[in-house]
Amino acid sequence: MDMINWGVVAPLIAIQLILMTVALLDLVKRDQVNGEKWVWAIVIVVFNTIGPIAYFIFGRKTD
Amino acid sequence: MRQWTVMYKKELSEQWRSFKWLWVPLVFMLLGMTQPVTAYYLPDILEQFGGLPEGAVIDIPLPGGGQVLADTLGQFSQIGMLVLVLAFMGTIVSERTQGTWAMVLVKPVSYGNVITTKWAAMLTLVTASYVLGLMSAIYYTFLLIESVPILDIVLGALLFLLWVMFIMTLVILFSSLFKSSGAVAFLTIGMAIVLSIISGFLPDLIQWSPGMLTSHSSDLLRTGETEALVWLPTTVTIVLITGMIFLSVSIVKRKEVIS
Amino acid sequence: MYVLETKNMTKTFGGVPVVNRLNLNIREGVCTALLGPNGAGKTTTLSMLGGLLKPSDGKVIFKDQEETDHRQMIGYLPQYPAFYGWMSGIEYLVYVGQLCGLSKKEAIRKGEDLLSLVGLTDGAKKKIAGYSGGMKQRLGIAQALINDPKVVMLDEPVSALDPHGRREVLELMRELKTKTTILFSTHVLHDAEEICDDIYIMKEGEVVAEGTLGELQRNYQQPAIHIETEREIKQWSSTLLEKEWVRHMDVKGKAVTLTVSDLTLSREAILQDPKFHGLAPVRFEIVKTSLEDLFMQVTKS
Ligand SMILES: Nc1ncnc2c1ncn2[C@@H]1O[C@H](COP(=O)(O)OP(=O)(O)OP(=O)(O)O)[C@@H](O)[C@H]1O
Ligand SMILES: [Mg+2]
Repeated sequence: MDMINWGVVAPLIAIQLILMTVALLDLVKRDQVNGEKWVWAIVIVVFNTIGPIAYFIFGRKTD
Repeated sequence: MRQWTVMYKKELSEQWRSFKWLWVPLVFMLLGMTQPVTAYYLPDILEQFGGLPEGAVIDIPLPGGGQVLADTLGQFSQIGMLVLVLAFMGTIVSERTQGTWAMVLVKPVSYGNVITTKWAAMLTLVTASYVLGLMSAIYYTFLLIESVPILDIVLGALLFLLWVMFIMTLVILFSSLFKSSGAVAFLTIGMAIVLSIISGFLPDLIQWSPGMLTSHSSDLLRTGETEALVWLPTTVTIVLITGMIFLSVSIVKRKEVIS
Repeated sequence: MYVLETKNMTKTFGGVPVVNRLNLNIREGVCTALLGPNGAGKTTTLSMLGGLLKPSDGKVIFKDQEETDHRQMIGYLPQYPAFYGWMSGIEYLVYVGQLCGLSKKEAIRKGEDLLSLVGLTDGAKKKIAGYSGGMKQRLGIAQALINDPKVVMLDEPVSALDPHGRREVLELMRELKTKTTILFSTHVLHDAEEICDDIYIMKEGEVVAEGTLGELQRNYQQPAIHIETEREIKQWSSTLLEKEWVRHMDVKGKAVTLTVSDLTLSREAILQDPKFHGLAPVRFEIVKTSLEDLFMQVTKS
């Protein structure tokens, strides 16, 4: 795959990383989430994009 | 009007502090980039992982730029819509179940303001995310594939935005009726699917249906033209959106605040 | 003279009346308590007065008839106040202040005043999500006062507080009642006795006793005689039930408490009864029933 233009793909990866980082930071800062924190941590890291979205929608307790 | 502004700003800050302003636009940008990038690399990917016999010649023509943008909107209307509905299914419902709703409604607030500020704030974020997502898609399509007449894009995008607004107004309407966010999401998505399907099957019969907006928008992007009847679903949708807002306000007004 | 009245106000849930033909007369500038055990219908009553529930029957009348939106003139604290946890205390007060029509500047000034009034100045900039139950209750009282209401309705304002906080909030209410009309609910008689002028005792959706604190005390502080004997008292005491001066009798083992209508008459009658002396009395005491007894009686059965 040497013809892949990294300038094209890098933003995609960057966005996924931002989503993951923000979700993880929020998870750490929050006192309580719906479910176990460590489960969410795994979900956020393992399932890219879907994991962080799922956390933002279902994991955070609305306050 | 002052009360409207105060409540609208509160909704925006709430979205901001729950990171919605970060993750929803990012998800749409990601969706917007994915389609052109996959279309561009699809031949390579197939070659690498497709398990094709040695020496087979791959000849998949690159889709046109308009097609890629139309496909992007297709992504928006499926994954994007699901994300939006799930992200906003709780805006009214969770306030009701948590009790903040009652705390606000014992104050002299107008029910119209309560509903319309929630609606407007939600659509502000939705529109911003949609525009950012579409701009990413346009940028990548122009860069990797080919450029498409801007006017077609703008018109197609506006038609599609109207469809998105229609769906998000359904979220508000169902939120005024039901106390469970699951029910709100389920009914909204169900309604969107039904409208898309019947418009696909019976396009001649259901020319006025809001579901037609997506096919008109897709036609515009792919071919640069669409039927003259585009004004029919557009007008109907605008009328329906207005009607649903009024209906939501009157439902909430008639209902008891608690219980 | 009444800021707020209800006429046969009724609320039914699924056909069952939870509040039944309630007639309240809330006097202006007076502190009124709705006193009743769990499930008496206090929250339902206050919710109807606050406009959160609609009466199934009867009506609520505010004195200020020309005011079309009664929410302008009331302050309301629900039993379980809920806030936007992402706001700080002062942000919340400024928000609801603006909802009530104050300008941002006015709302900030009013909010700060109220926070210091309820003793929350230290927590003003903290996120409400991090507040303790007591802090939330204080913030709840502050938000109820943001529009200088004519009537303040507080649903169990002190139930969630520790004894110290309870003391403070009661003091606060005592101060408040010099400025505005207060209507609050409680299941603790003592709270009502401490700061109230008028009391409605509710049970199962109905008012079972009402009046000023003084009236209630007078009416329900009836003379009573407490007797204890060595021998079995039951048989003898049952003969007393026929006497017209006995109002109420409570037998517990070898002890009897008689609520009587005429103390002199009944005392003589008992002391001159040879059968009474035959029971070998060990105690004969004149006591008075209190509001507490009335309330216990209401709550018990
Ligand atoms: N929405 C409702 N649907 C059905 N029944 C209800 C509803 N709300 C209250 N009730 C019933 O009405 C009765 C009175 O309730 P209410 O909350 O008014 O009592 P309360 O005096 O405030 O009690 P507490 O001291 O426990 O707060 C209860 O028996 C309760 O089960
Ligand atoms: Mg209650």
